[in-house]
Formats: sequence, C-alpha cells, structure tokens
Amino acid sequence: MIYSSELIKGTLKTIVLKLLADNKKMYGYEITQKVKDLTLNKIQITEGALYPTLHALEADGLVTTESEFIGKRVRKYYTLSPSGKNKTKEKVSELADFMETMKFLLDIKTKTV
Amino acid sequence: MYRISDQQIDYIISDIGARGVEMESLQQNLVDHVCCIIENNLEENGDFESFYQTTIQTFYKDELWEIEEETLQLLTHKNYYTMKKIMIYSGTLSVAGFIVGSIFKIMHWPGASAILLLSMVNISLIFLPLLFILKTREVNTMKDKLMVAIGTIFGILFSLSSLFKIFHWPGANLMWLIALGILMFLFIPIYFFSGIRNPETKINTIITSIILIAAVGMLFTLTSLRSSSQVYFGNTYNYLQGEELITRMQLIKNDTATQNPEIINLSKEIIENCKKIKEKIIIDGTGLKSIPDDFEKKDIILQESVPGKEFHPGESGMELIQKLKKQINSYNTLVNKNNQLPIDNSIEKMENMNSIQLSNYNLLNSLTEIQLFILQNEKGLKFN
Repeated sequence: MIYSSELIKGTLKTIVLKLLADNKKMYGYEITQKVKDLTLNKIQITEGALYPTLHALEADGLVTTESEFIGKRVRKYYTLSPSGKNKTKEKVSELADFMETMKFLLDIKTKTV
Repeated sequence: MYRISDQQIDYIISDIGARGVEMESLQQNLVDHVCCIIENNLEENGDFESFYQTTIQTFYKDELWEIEEETLQLLTHKNYYTMKKIMIYSGTLSVAGFIVGSIFKIMHWPGASAILLLSMVNISLIFLPLLFILKTREVNTMKDKLMVAIGTIFGILFSLSSLFKIFHWPGANLMWLIALGILMFLFIPIYFFSGIRNPETKINTIITSIILIAAVGMLFTLTSLRSSSQVYFGNTYNYLQGEELITRMQLIKNDTATQNPEIINLSKEIIENCKKIKEKIIIDGTGLKSIPDDFEKKDIILQESVPGKEFHPGESGMELIQKLKKQINSYNTLVNKNNQLPIDNSIEKMENMNSIQLSNYNLLNSLTEIQLFILQNEKGLKFN
C-alpha cells in the first residue's frame, strides 16, 4: 500500500528534518531513496513535493546547503542549521502527539504485542 | 550502471529550462535528481533519451513548472506571514502612538508631535499599503480588487489629511475633501451596486451603505464645523489690530519733559520684553516669527491653546515673563500713582504659578495692554 499524497503533505517537513538530523548531510535523490528503503516502499516522496519543501526549509533558515560539482552537474547537500535541530525536535514531538490524538479520535486499537 | 556524458547533462539542463523551470537552484536539484535515477536504473547500453523522457514525466502531473510554482508559492507564503506580522505590529504601534501622542499633546509634554507624526506616517504608508497587498490576495474578482484599492486610497488620504491638519500644512482641506469625495462617489456606489445584485448580500449592503453615507455626512459636517478656524481668525484679527494700535501710538511724540530718563529706559525695556514674549508665543503657535496680514489666505492659524514648552517653569519664555513682572514692579515704584500699571487684572496677578495657565490669546492681549499703558504714559496722556 502506498499512502496518499494528502497524508504525506502534512508530514513531509517533519520527515525531511528528521532524516537530516539522523544523517547529517543528504541530497534530494538520497532523501527519496532513504524514505523508500526505510518504509519498504510504502512512502514514496515525489520530486514535486520534496524540492519545494527543501527550498522552503532553506528560506526559513532551518537547513543550509553546500554545492558539490559532479562533472558538469551540481549536487546540493542539505544540512540542519542549529535552529533546524530545535525545530526537528519540536516537529517530531508534535507529530507523535498528533498520532496519539488521532488514535484516540479514530478509536484505533493498538496492536497488542 | 549507466554513465551520463557532459552533452547529455547539457541536454537535460536545456530540456528542464525549456519546460519552464527557471530558478537556478531548483534546476540544479532536478538535474542531479534525474541523473541519479538514470544512472541507477538504466542499463549500460540503454536508450538515454527515451528513458529520460519517461523519467522526467514522473516528476509532475501536467507540467514540470508546477514544481517551481509550488516552490514559489511556499516561499511567498512565508513572506505573506512576515507581511502580516509587520502589518499587525505597525497597526498596533500606530494605535498606541495615537493614544500616547494625544495624551502628550494635551499635557504639552515634549515629543507629542513626533509621536503623532510617526503614527500617522506609519498607518498611512506602512499599515494601509500592506493591508492592501494582503487583502488583494484574498479577493478574486477585479471588482473586489478595485474596491480594496479605492478603500486603501481613501484611508491613506484620510489619515494624511488629518496629519496635515494637525501640523497646519497646506493642502489638508483639499485632501480631506478628495478623500470624502472618493468615499462618497466611488467607493459607496461600487459597493452598493455590486452588493445589491446578490440576494444573499442585499440587506447587508443596504444597511452598510446607509451607515457609510451617514458617516460621510457627519464627516462632511465636521468640515464646515471646523470653522472653529473662524474663531481663530477673529482672535488673530484682534491681535493684529492691537499691534497696529501700538505701532501708531509709537508714532506720537513723547512727552519727555515730564519724565525722568530712568522711566524712559524702563519703558523701552518693558515694551521690548513684551515684544519678545509675543514673538515666542507666535512661534510656539504657528512656527512663524510674526503673523502676516494675509494670514487667512495662507491658511496660517494661531489656534487657541496654552503656550507650549518654552513657557514651562525655568524655560526661556517663562523667564521673560518673570523678568517682565519685576520690570512692572520697578516701573510702578518710579511713576506717579495715577500712572502705575494696573496689576489686579494682569499676568502680574498670577503669583507662584507653576506654569502658564492662560491661553496664548489671553497672554497676547495682556501683553498688548501692558504695552499700551506704557505708551499712554510716555505720550503724556495723563489723568488729572
């Protein structure tokens, strides 16, 4: 099952920030592959969603970029800024809290281990 | 694994550019991304061009530039919040400035004008334009945008005309009338006729229009009521007549035979001192050294008010008044009882006053009277 883009949209920022927090510096393609691998193909981030988000994060000063030339093409690596690190914690705990609330709201029984 | 040549990269760059992606950093990201996909998924001897074309198509729904549009929207969305924040801050500051500034003005504390000026400029040149930019984004039809534009122009003119009025700058009345005209003959008709067609908004439109027209009516009445300026003009006439009287009396020959030099000197000093104080009052009220005869044409108004900072205790204006009191006392000890300056109903009476409580007109008239009393003695108009 692949999750709908509506579901991904609201959480994409958090996903990207958390990945950058765990992997120091990443470039766009790497991020999409990492998400794909970690979620066993269940979450596939589209280019059309990822790059606008990365640019917005950059404009907000949450990530910094460094460019690396690979032959003729430029690869942009993204790294969390100090404020980005704080924001990541904030966003992750917000999402965790949100998921708890949703569980309660939608009355989802958590699987018993 | 496929290896992409430099020519192929050029091809990709120009293709992405041709598809309408113009932001350089976004272009770089997409080029690198599509290259990674090709390198990882295309066979070593695969067909580059057809693979590229199918890959790039997975990036978008209809057109590639959607990505750029989305990016720009996210970026301007950020500006949107910054602008909104600035708007709210500048609006709050202006309102606070109006309240604090008017309290300062009433209390004659220094800085009142600066605070009011800043608030007015702030509201008309920062708050209202920002409000306009943000509002036009929210409305869709041209008509609504036009309404917002007209409303903004009205707001700016209205607040600027109040500003000009407070500082007695020329053009205030004209601006005020234009603002009211725009509201009455442009804004209200467009608002009324666009709202009344829609059955849902019909009642509200009628009510709001009536309220608006009533408001314009009241504001317009204020325009004519503002002929409190007529009162000020009248007072200014009195002042100028007094000055003329003094000038004419000074032309009459002095009756030197009957007076000693000490009195003549003191008389001169008192008259000079009165003149200086008057000048300070006029500057305080109008910013000019003297009021010209055609003050009405030039819209120079000496408003009735309590003289400002210069006349606070310890300030130069107040010092001159204290000096004048001493001069009057010594004058009265020198001259005959009949020629003494009356002190019962003059500024002399205000002993131990902390600050001037008389209005500028009262003060000017008292000074003129003192000058005339002195001149009358000088000219030998004795009471026998």
